[in-house]
Amino acid sequence: MNSSSKDKITTSQAVVIIINYILATGILTLPRASVEKVKTPDVWISVFLGGIVAMIAGVIIVKLSQQFPDKTFYQYNQEIIGKWLGWLISACVIVYFFTISAFEVRIMAEVTSLFLLEGTPTWAIILPFLWVGLYLISGGINSIARLFEIIFPITFVIFLLVAFLSLGIFEIDNLRPVLGLGVMPMLKGIKTATLAFLGPEIMLLLVAFMYPSDKSKAVKVVLVGITIPLLFYVITVVMVIGALSIEGVMTRTWPTIELMRSFEIPGLIFERFESFLLVIWIMQIFATFTITYYAAVLGLAQLFKKSIHPFLYGLLPIIYIIAMTPKNVNDLFKFGDKIGHAALILFGVIPVALLLISKLKGDKT
Amino acid sequence: MKRKHRYVRFFLLILVSLPLTGCWSSKEIEDLGLIVGTSLDLETGDVSSEEQQDARYANRDLLTITNQLITSETTVSGTKEGSLPEKAYKNVSETSDAVLPTLRNMLLKIDKRSFAEHSKVIIIGEELASTINLKQSLDFFLRELEIRPSGLLLIAQNRASQALETNEPTKIPAFQLVEMMEGHERTTKILPPMTIAKLEGKLYSNSSFLLQNVTAEDGEVKFAGAAVIDGKTKKLRGFLNEGDLEGNAWITGDGKGGLVKGFDEQSGSPIVYEIISMKSKIVPHVDGDQISFTVKIQSEGRIAEHWVLLDKASDNRFLKKAEKVFEKEIERLVKNTLEKTQHEFQTDVSGFGTKLRIHYPKVWQKIKKDWDQTFSEVPITCEVDVTIKDYGTSGD
Repeated sequence: MNSSSKDKITTSQAVVIIINYILATGILTLPRASVEKVKTPDVWISVFLGGIVAMIAGVIIVKLSQQFPDKTFYQYNQEIIGKWLGWLISACVIVYFFTISAFEVRIMAEVTSLFLLEGTPTWAIILPFLWVGLYLISGGINSIARLFEIIFPITFVIFLLVAFLSLGIFEIDNLRPVLGLGVMPMLKGIKTATLAFLGPEIMLLLVAFMYPSDKSKAVKVVLVGITIPLLFYVITVVMVIGALSIEGVMTRTWPTIELMRSFEIPGLIFERFESFLLVIWIMQIFATFTITYYAAVLGLAQLFKKSIHPFLYGLLPIIYIIAMTPKNVNDLFKFGDKIGHAALILFGVIPVALLLISKLKGDKT
Repeated sequence: MKRKHRYVRFFLLILVSLPLTGCWSSKEIEDLGLIVGTSLDLETGDVSSEEQQDARYANRDLLTITNQLITSETTVSGTKEGSLPEKAYKNVSETSDAVLPTLRNMLLKIDKRSFAEHSKVIIIGEELASTINLKQSLDFFLRELEIRPSGLLLIAQNRASQALETNEPTKIPAFQLVEMMEGHERTTKILPPMTIAKLEGKLYSNSSFLLQNVTAEDGEVKFAGAAVIDGKTKKLRGFLNEGDLEGNAWITGDGKGGLVKGFDEQSGSPIVYEIISMKSKIVPHVDGDQISFTVKIQSEGRIAEHWVLLDKASDNRFLKKAEKVFEKEIERLVKNTLEKTQHEFQTDVSGFGTKLRIHYPKVWQKIKKDWDQTFSEVPITCEVDVTIKDYGTSGD
């Protein structure tokens, strides 16, 4: 691992990376995806519990990484379960990372061509996005962290602003009753909600990059890093359902954008509040895209013990091809679900197993 | 070495000029026709073109769509020399059997590029609303990106296209309708605005609802009650008049202001109550299979006008008496409305179902399918409490 001092990140940078990784597609699609499963106004509770589940998974991941404070997941998993199995798991994780990065790029392209750049071909939207990402990643984790520090406050302010502008069409009756049909419908939504919190897995790598004195704070990092997106998601779901009602949300492809388009504020100079939302959303997608891209590239470099650069360029066309594979929006959403299910196994089950094995091994020696 | 750099610089210069070309797909505003209002009507009269006749033979319903456009020519103001345009707007109509093809056929008639981002209102004609499911006729408007979900939806008695006409050449009827809708703040005879965004939820939840009704005659546009849309068929069921709307506002409690006109019992002179606040609580009761509702209405307001010569507003006894008069009047309005919605139309448009869903979710699951039917037989009682806070600047 390149352990030069410039490849170190602070605690707050680690928090911001997690937040920016988690916030992505979910902002636009979570209200619909979760309402489809839950079908009652209790969706926000599901989202809340989904966040808690993600926190538990995140803490396990951190605990695992803290066993090997100076190594990334790709390096230490071979120590726990042997060379070949470790290699295989690393390979799966790498594939996961660049697939999700391709998925984000494609979603971005779909939304942009639908709402902003009508008529621009998909490749023309994707390519500059990829190139700028490539440029950022070639600067290493530090450049990524610094950019994320700029993105996050902008997201925070604009998001809260547009969310609360929509209060005018909010109706509390759309969110009632709470748990009217018992807890069962609400439980059905937890899995979907958890999938919106993909992101804590980056701690498998990030702990190695944190300053040695900060490594003990990693649990706190992951908890704070999930709490903030959790608040964002709950606010989003509550506002969207409050304005459009359960039945209205279910049939909308991008419910959150729909919400921003649904009101006008007389006297304010601007209309088209969805463009604000899209601006921060695209920044968030860019953040998720770059960090997953970087995680995949880093994995390849460490797996083959080579320099990072050939992989950096080599992966770009692969991401492009994967991004262009889904035929239409339905395929794309299904593709996203598959990635989510893969994540449940890769980062829900495997870290627990690895943690147990390493503890057992540790006790023996 | 230096020479090499010069080439690089030259190359960069060309590269930089590429992103500087400015807006790629820009459209000049002079070439745009801003669509500000759209009306949909059922076409029953004679048809001319072959396409329309084909649709007639195949027994498909024909739609006539009228778009109200504002173009650079219609907005020429008085500063320009020469004659003013006749109207501040331009209406274009076309007939076909689905919405988008009709709109596209308009291309054959107008030189401007239609642009619907600023569309404010959609008006549906009475006949169309009562023959075609709203989910079908409005599908395009719910799907199309360019049309913002913040647009208003109205029903027009007679032909909807007439609501987009006016006698005053400087006015734009579509904007006029939107501004008239704001009167909702000051009278209970206008419904709270129903936007396309809210409509979506109503259409998919299978509940009945009201849409503001507008009548137009000889270029004069007027709000007149509301149209009742049946939740199951999503077609127009009938109309409520302004009085019924007042009653409905008292039931739902979503009026923002307005008046109640009562008459003094002894002298028969009018007393007018201005609403400062209105609150209503619909309380459902479920006892076995028996469902009933109590509507609890609370209001505060002031005496805005009274013609009673013998009494003084500064006298508390008179205020008490007046409160009784208004309570009775409100109760009468509510009863009248319920009589119509429960028995004449048999549709729940005042949100009784929603309250049942919130307070008795399990009961609601069982009966929601035939709710409108059930609703028509449910006993509803009404309790009104009016408090007069003040009487303006005159104590008389």
